[in-house]
Amino acid sequence: MQDIVKGHPRLIDALSALCAGEEQIRHTTDFYGNGYHWFKLENSSRIKDAAKILKGFRARLIMISAYEDKQLEQIVKELCYHFDVEGVVYNLTVTQNAEWPIVPSITPDFANADWHEREMMELYQIKVTDHPNPKRLFLDETLDAGQLSKAIPLSIMMNGASSKDLWERILEGKEHSA
Amino acid sequence: MSIATYTMPLGPVHVALEEPVYFNLTVDGENIKNVELTSGHVHRGMEQLAMQRNLVKNVTLTERVCSLCSNSHSFTYSMVVENALQLEIPERAKYLRVMAEEIKRIASHLFNTAIQAHIAGFKSLFMHVMEVREIMQDVKETVYGNRMNLASNCIGGVKCDVDAELIAYILKQLDVIEPQMREILDIFDSNHIMLTRTKGLGILPPEEAEALGVVGPVARGSGLRKDVRFDSPYAAYPNLDFDLIVEDGCCVHSRTMVRLRELFESVKLIRQCCEQMPEGPVRTHMGKIPVNEAFAHTEAPRGEVAYYIRTNGTELPARLKWRVPSYMNWKALGVMMKGCQIAEVALVLNSIDPCVSCTER
Repeated sequence: MQDIVKGHPRLIDALSALCAGEEQIRHTTDFYGNGYHWFKLENSSRIKDAAKILKGFRARLIMISAYEDKQLEQIVKELCYHFDVEGVVYNLTVTQNAEWPIVPSITPDFANADWHEREMMELYQIKVTDHPNPKRLFLDETLDAGQLSKAIPLSIMMNGASSKDLWERILEGKEHSA
Repeated sequence: MSIATYTMPLGPVHVALEEPVYFNLTVDGENIKNVELTSGHVHRGMEQLAMQRNLVKNVTLTERVCSLCSNSHSFTYSMVVENALQLEIPERAKYLRVMAEEIKRIASHLFNTAIQAHIAGFKSLFMHVMEVREIMQDVKETVYGNRMNLASNCIGGVKCDVDAELIAYILKQLDVIEPQMREILDIFDSNHIMLTRTKGLGILPPEEAEALGVVGPVARGSGLRKDVRFDSPYAAYPNLDFDLIVEDGCCVHSRTMVRLRELFESVKLIRQCCEQMPEGPVRTHMGKIPVNEAFAHTEAPRGEVAYYIRTNGTELPARLKWRVPSYMNWKALGVMMKGCQIAEVALVLNSIDPCVSCTER
């Protein structure tokens, strides 16, 4: 591991100012000397400010990772935004909790955030505000949101519950046609 | 809306590839005015599956995200776990990883160009490119025992070493395939049918390419100098000599030429790996799993693949997320297809080398 982490000092300072303290910031490298900077932003609304700063540095959004954790019986959702600036990766984490239940969309600044935000809305039930096109990306509108929060064992999925519903619908259709 | 303007459904099957994706095209006569895309037909919930399996089992799972980029997934997944565990892989393993990746890149790029010939109606060229690709398929089968999923990567290095006899075989096959690939490149760059169908078609200007964050040959075909192998070097790439291929035509033909020219860079890389690979072990053992988070990205044949992991000290990942190159390139179709004719949709679509199973996971 290298001691000096690659990165843009002005950008690191600007993003650090959006965090609640020094302990919310980490700088790491891999064994090839590539730099990774990790910032935990003060609250979810800060991502909008961070996006504006990153846009000024011609950053490229790589992806957004949604994460769900259970802390003291409370579900805490976190989002990690990964940006690339000249080969260095800037990872910005925001927490969605009872105090900050929503996260603003960064699609107006980064057009390629569109799909990422739509996906986290449908798979993790993340509440995103001001998204220009908040419709479903993958799953049909009739399915519940937050599907990735659920683990459905194969034995339950195949225990006939779904097929009973299916046959009831078929019979209903047959009765109507008769 | 004029009487000539209407919405035309296209798909979900057999639009250029045998994977389901559905387009709603707003057309004015034959000309496309707007493109809307619906996906989700083969969403498999693989990220949720990954969180039910231990770190070692996920190497096998991630290799099945995609077929053509299968090696890139197990490669990047292994890298992200190694970053989280702070595990340095042996020097020889770095070269072996690059070798497998570039073998897959050649096969992937040839497949895409073959399909382009097929869509353009140039069947004999399609069959010829696929036949040349078989040389690389033979290499995969001979060296790794498999024609598609190589199962080469593991956390801490690679599973199998490549001995002197296999290296001699690989070098011999490269000598066979290289002149044939040169001939293919010349055909795509000079044949009247191919040029008429692809040159100037599906324009993606560099400003739009940058704004949409497109990756891989789609970005490089629009003049963007973006390649993870150069921007954030990994494995043995920092020790190897190769060129970044960029074309500035911004059209289907440019993207094809990027792929075809990259074939020769891959050949260069494989040759260097064969010649420069140091002796030594090919893998190291995993240590204790810490509470950590890590990120890794690599350049797959279709572009950048990114992985993010959170470990919680147990053998199951707390979160594993990945983003495939196609995911970033789909939206660019809206720009590329505007003004095109309906008959050109399949060619433009193929030019992003789309992968639905990757995108939907």
